[in-house]
Amino acid sequence: MGGTFGRARGGRVKVRLGRADCVVVAGLLEAVSGLLEPEAPAGGDAEQVAGGGEGASTSGPPADDEAALLAQLEADLIPPRPADPAVARLLPDASRDDPELAESFRRLTEPDLRERKRGALALAAAALRRPTPVVLDDSEAQALLKGLTDVRLVLAERLGIQTDEDAEFLHAAIAAGVGDADAAWSQAAGLYDVVTFLQEDLVHTLTP
Amino acid sequence: MSVAPVEVERPDLEEVARPDVPWVTIVWNDPVNLMSYVTYVFQTYFGYSKEKATKLMLDVHQEGRAVVSNGTREEMERDTQAMHEFGLWATFQKDD
Repeated sequence: MGGTFGRARGGRVKVRLGRADCVVVAGLLEAVSGLLEPEAPAGGDAEQVAGGGEGASTSGPPADDEAALLAQLEADLIPPRPADPAVARLLPDASRDDPELAESFRRLTEPDLRERKRGALALAAAALRRPTPVVLDDSEAQALLKGLTDVRLVLAERLGIQTDEDAEFLHAAIAAGVGDADAAWSQAAGLYDVVTFLQEDLVHTLTP
Repeated sequence: MSVAPVEVERPDLEEVARPDVPWVTIVWNDPVNLMSYVTYVFQTYFGYSKEKATKLMLDVHQEGRAVVSNGTREEMERDTQAMHEFGLWATFQKDD
């Protein structure tokens, strides 16, 4: 039995999935992209920016006020760490023991990382929504590989997978039939299992 | 095939004080990413051999973390962001 993915001519990748399955995977990719939409700024406090105090004259801001204004502007531009743990896992801290380093890195890179991830997710989803049989070019295949990773990271967070043992338990539970687990958990676990299988197959297809 | 050392020589104090002391990118273990995928990322992004990529992947899996690259701070920021784009959890820090 062949895998779901297969090499085609010119570095392209055949997807041996029916239309319905392609649409399900595309929907998962799009849902994750939705989670990565830029977050709205926390408060509508743009008016606080001025705040120079009583001494400030109206004849244009002196250097001190400019510095304060710049500092305030910079503070406004620092993206907060995402509140949703799944999003926080997709956009993780770049330091575990230096909050300042993590914060400055997030300020510099997070908007770009969101954009790149959303671009890859959209590219892969659009490819899977083409008429079947779907054939991916190399950039679409790479985008799908990254996109399936992001889908798995989000599902794993929702399923409460924190450790290697949790992941092993999940696979054992699925192998044994999820039994009396609640319906939402079973559904997420089933999707996680399918997406894991797809990703493993795609990695092996793409591995040089 | 030689496997490039993950551990660097223990630097003496003078080296630590140098302004050009290299930084490192570290990838941390997580329960989600597949061993095959992590190896694939190390091979394709860093251009490491299958042997070196596999060794680093096993280090991450078994030790909980591994240094995957070293260089200037700017280079390590770039590698860290690339790892995040691949869905791996990476951090960067001064090598010590």
